[in-house]
Amino acid sequence: MNNILEIRDLIVSFASDGRKERAVAVNGVSLSVPKGGIVGLVGESGCGKSVTSLSVMGLLADNGRVDSGEILLDGEDLLKLSDRQRRDIRGNRISMIFQEPMTSLNPVLTIGHQVTEAIRRHSDMDKAAARARAIEMLDKVGIPEPEKRMGNFPHQLSGGMRQRVMIGMGMAMAPELLIADEPTTALDVSIEAQILRLMRDLQRAGGTSILMITHNLGVVAELCDEVYVMYAGEVVEHADVYTLFRECAHPYTRGLMASLPRMTPKGKRLYNIPGTVPNLRAMPQGCRFAPRCEYATEHCHSEKPALKDIGGGHLCRCFRG
Amino acid sequence: MPKYIAKRVLVTIPVLLGIVLLIFFMLQVVPGDPVTVMMKEHLKEDVVQNLRQTMHLDDPFFIRYLRYVWDLLQGDLGMSWKLNRPVTNLIAQAFPYTCRLAIAAALFSWILGIPVGMISAVKKNTLIDHLSMGVSLFGVSMPVFWVALILQNAFKNVLPVSGVKSWQSYILPTIVLGWSSAGRIARLTRSNLLEVLREDYIRTARSKGLSPLRVITGHAMKNALIPVITVMAIQLSSLLSGAVITESVFAMPGVGSLAVTAINNRDMPLLQGTVIFTALLIIAGNLVADILYSLIDPRIRVE
Repeated sequence: MNNILEIRDLIVSFASDGRKERAVAVNGVSLSVPKGGIVGLVGESGCGKSVTSLSVMGLLADNGRVDSGEILLDGEDLLKLSDRQRRDIRGNRISMIFQEPMTSLNPVLTIGHQVTEAIRRHSDMDKAAARARAIEMLDKVGIPEPEKRMGNFPHQLSGGMRQRVMIGMGMAMAPELLIADEPTTALDVSIEAQILRLMRDLQRAGGTSILMITHNLGVVAELCDEVYVMYAGEVVEHADVYTLFRECAHPYTRGLMASLPRMTPKGKRLYNIPGTVPNLRAMPQGCRFAPRCEYATEHCHSEKPALKDIGGGHLCRCFRG
Repeated sequence: MPKYIAKRVLVTIPVLLGIVLLIFFMLQVVPGDPVTVMMKEHLKEDVVQNLRQTMHLDDPFFIRYLRYVWDLLQGDLGMSWKLNRPVTNLIAQAFPYTCRLAIAAALFSWILGIPVGMISAVKKNTLIDHLSMGVSLFGVSMPVFWVALILQNAFKNVLPVSGVKSWQSYILPTIVLGWSSAGRIARLTRSNLLEVLREDYIRTARSKGLSPLRVITGHAMKNALIPVITVMAIQLSSLLSGAVITESVFAMPGVGSLAVTAINNRDMPLLQGTVIFTALLIIAGNLVADILYSLIDPRIRVE
C-alpha cells in the first residue's frame, strides 16, 4: 500500500427540511494521498472539498450521509467500521485542523486541558506524562513559554498562536494523516507563511501525510506535491503540482489561475470566472462547468465528460483534453 | 478578581438606597391613616395625637425616610402596627420556612431541569424531546395556585397539605414551586446546548475522538450552562424572598405569608419590611450570578 488515504467514488448527500430528494454535495470523488505526501484539494466554497474531508473524519453534520464509496486508511475501509472504532482513529491516526482558529478551541477550557485531553484519549499516559507531552508539543509548534501557556485560555492567545495550538493538538499522537481545512485562511499573510512552514517541517520530521484543503493556489504551490481540483462536487483535474501550474488543462483550473492577482498593467481588470457555482439541486445535465465555460459547445451542455488521463497521470474532466 | 467583586458590591449600594426610597415613597402615598388602622375608629382625639407624635407621623417625608434608612442600617425595620412586634423578628421567624422550601424547590428544579434539558437537546426532535418539552411547558405556563390545588386534592390522603408539621409538609410545595422553575431551566438548558453544539470547538472535540457523552459533558455543558447559572442564581434569590402564592395555599408561615398578612392588615411597616427584604435578596442574587458568571467564563474576568 503506497497510499495512506484512498477515497473511491465517494458520494455524500444532505437532507434538508421539507424536501424529499437529498442534495448531493460530493458526487463520485476519488482521490489518494501517498504516504508521506502533501496533497492539495482546491476549489471554490461549496464545491464539496470540506464535505469530502469531514467524511474521512466521520464528522459530517447530522443531516449528511455517505451514500456510497470507500474511504481506505492504509487499506482499511473506514466506512465499514463502528462508531467506536472510528473514534479510536480520530485524533489518533487521522487528525484535522480547521479554518477558524478563533472559534475552534473551547473558550472555557485552558489550552493545557484541551491538548492534554487529546493525548490522554489515545494513550494510557498518566496526567503528568500527558502534560509533559503537551508542553513538548506546544514547544514543537513554536509557542513561546509553553509551560505558562498551558494555563491560558484561548482568548488570551492570538489567532496564529491558536492555530499553532490546534496543529500541536492534531500532531500530538503523530497521526498518519493530517487533514488541514483552510488552516491559514483566517490568518495574516505573514502568519500564514509561518504556519505553512511549520506544517511542512512537522510533515518531514514525523512522516505524516497531509491533505491540504484550500482555495488558495499560492498555498498549493508553496506546500503540495500534487493537486486535485474540485468543482461542484466532482474532481475536474488532477496532476502533480508542477504540471498543474505549467500546463493546467481544465478551463476551470485555468480560470482559477487567471483569477490570481498579479502585476498586471494598471487599469486592467482582474480576471474572474463568469457566473456562480451551480445549485446542488439544479446541476447542469452535461458538464457541470459548461454554463460558465467560454469554450463550451453544444456537446458540453448535453453530455457529461469523464475524468480521463491526458498523459502521465494528469487527469482532466473536459472534452477538449 | 477580588477587585471585581468589591466593585460589584459597591455598585449595589446606591441601587439599594434607591429601592428603599421607592418602596418607602410608594407605601406613603397609599391611602389610609396608620393610627386608624391600628386603633379602628373608636378612640379619643388626644390619644391619636399622642400616637402620631411617638410614631413621628407628622415629620416631613424626607426626615422620615432618613430615619427609616438609619434604622434599617442597624437592622431595625420598625414595629408591626398590627402584631406589635419588631418586623425584623417577624421576618427572622418566617425566613427558615421560606428558606427550606426555596432550597428544596431550587434543588428539585436543577436536578430535574438540567438533565431533562440536556437529554432533550441531544435527542432533538424525538419523542423524548417533545414529551419533556411539553411537560416543561406545562410547568411554566400552569398557574401555581391551580397546580397546588390539584396536587393537594390528589395527595390529600398521603401527604400533609396544610401547615408545617414535619419534613413531609414540604414535599408538595416543593413540587409545585420546583416544577415551574424546572420547566424554565430545562427549556433554557436545551436551547443553549443546541446552540453550543453547533460551535466549531465541539467539532474540534469530536475530532479528538471523544465519545458523544464526553463531548457533551466535558465540552458543551460548561458553555451551555453559563446563562443557565445566571438564571439559577436569580431564581434562587426570588424563591428565598418567599413564594407568596404557594405559601398561602399550603398555609406555610414563611415570608410570603407574612407579606400577605401585612397587606390584609394594612400593616405598612411589615409590608415595607418584607418588600425590602425581597429586594435585598434579589440584588444579592444578581450579585452572586455576576460573580459566578465571571468565575465560569474566563473571558469576562477583568484582568
